[in-house]
Amino acid sequence: MNFLLDGRLSLTTPEGVRLQLVPAGPVVRAYAWAIDFVAWGMGASFLISILGAVIPSPKLFSAVTAILFFFAYWAYPVLCEVYAGGRTLGKHIIGLQVLRADGLPVRWRESVLRNLLLVADFLPLLYASGLLAMLSDRHFRRLGDIVAGTQVVYRDKPPKRVDVPDAAPLPLPFPLTPEQQRALADLFARESRLPHARMLELADIAEPLTGRDGDASLERLRGMAAGLVR
Amino acid sequence: MKQAQFEAAYGPLWSEIDTLLDKRAEGREALPEQYRRLCQCLALASQRGYSPQLVSYLHGLVARCHHALYGVAAERPTVLLQWLRLDLPRRVRAEWKLLLLVLLCLLGPAIAIGLLVWHDSHNAFMFASPEELTRMHQMYSPSSLKTGRGGSEGDLQMFGHYIWNNVSIGFRTFASGIFGGVPALLSVLFNGMKMGVVAAWLSLDPATRSNFWSFVVTHSSFELTGLVLSGVAGLRLGMALVKPGRLSRRRALQEASIEMYPVVAGAALLTVLAAFFEAFWSASGFPPAVKYSVGAVCWALVFLFFGFAGRGKGVHATR
Repeated sequence: MNFLLDGRLSLTTPEGVRLQLVPAGPVVRAYAWAIDFVAWGMGASFLISILGAVIPSPKLFSAVTAILFFFAYWAYPVLCEVYAGGRTLGKHIIGLQVLRADGLPVRWRESVLRNLLLVADFLPLLYASGLLAMLSDRHFRRLGDIVAGTQVVYRDKPPKRVDVPDAAPLPLPFPLTPEQQRALADLFARESRLPHARMLELADIAEPLTGRDGDASLERLRGMAAGLVR
Repeated sequence: MKQAQFEAAYGPLWSEIDTLLDKRAEGREALPEQYRRLCQCLALASQRGYSPQLVSYLHGLVARCHHALYGVAAERPTVLLQWLRLDLPRRVRAEWKLLLLVLLCLLGPAIAIGLLVWHDSHNAFMFASPEELTRMHQMYSPSSLKTGRGGSEGDLQMFGHYIWNNVSIGFRTFASGIFGGVPALLSVLFNGMKMGVVAAWLSLDPATRSNFWSFVVTHSSFELTGLVLSGVAGLRLGMALVKPGRLSRRRALQEASIEMYPVVAGAALLTVLAAFFEAFWSASGFPPAVKYSVGAVCWALVFLFFGFAGRGKGVHATR
């Protein structure tokens, strides 16, 4: 049941590890696209102004800019996706990446096809086909993604290792279930991101476990959490 | 085993893997073995109920290893050559029905409209505006052909323009073909129509006739082939949606796009080649006889290539 409610896409590796991908919807992808568009426009105008100053002949200038535009228009997203881990600048900032349906990085063929098909997604106007495809697909794939067999997912930041709570270990007064132990360990791992008042409030709730309230309860909880780990 | 002991025992392994993943390919020989040990660590950590932070840290590390190990593409240095020599002509021949249809859509209107205009020049105004025809006429009139571009820089300018314009048209023709192939056919049809009007209009006037035909004869061999191939690839994509056969539509689209990928690449290369000829050769000052002979050689090469290349080698196709 949990699985049905979960929007995540679950892939099992040959080692039996389950990797979970969160498909990215139209809105975040539109943000990423907008960032790319602005970056593209700024980069292009910057290059044009530099080239305009360097190249004296207007004909040579227009030759160079046409070829440059061609590559910037068609090759920029492909090069980004193949060499920068499936991320254009916009996707990098928003925290998205393009992956193949099997969760692996995209290669040339997938990237080229999905970016060529961007033209079809744009039709009849303003990415209407792409939006329609995304809304009717379970994983928010646009036409290009369906054809190339790719998907855009959120990119998890690699989690850092956290140090165990620094306190004298205390024994538990009664056994806790694994879920309860996990909740306790999790609480102190997240302590730096929680306000002290919230910690006190939670420590008050844990009164049946510690037999105290307020700061005293919090300290006993910290000791028990350390006891779970040490 | 408590979590702290576990971390102390296996922490060095995890940091070693971490540094290994940050580096490029060197020293990765040990990674598969370390990856298996890491997967075991993850299984133990989640089964023993260690803190969620530790489990998600290990999980993230496993995911990165998975990408690094399974995401590597086999190196195929000659794949482009293989595509061009074998896959491109073979796949075009395999789609001979679509090729005929696209050729019909290109040449049918071109010949029909050409004859119509040839028969009565007023018919040209049905398909093109008078200003456009006058502009075309001026472009190919003997006085402007040599002075029009202004030397090699002008040639280069046109080269850039042709690349940007024509290759993009090829890509758009392919991509829009996904909608049942109709937009790809329309694109080909429209180009054929235009071709017919312009060719017939300029042939009517003896002053522009020779200029026009000697100008287009060489690069048209590559440019028209490029457009036709883009049309075939787009149509194939559209047919996958209309008539997927025994596959699901999604799967059929994927298969069709994989098959047509070398064709699209070949079409783009041909169009670039055409742009090169159009910019640097077609407007050059060689006498028409030379241009016609070179054009004939190019057309012959195109026909020979798509008729005979990649036959009977027994080499299986690349995927």
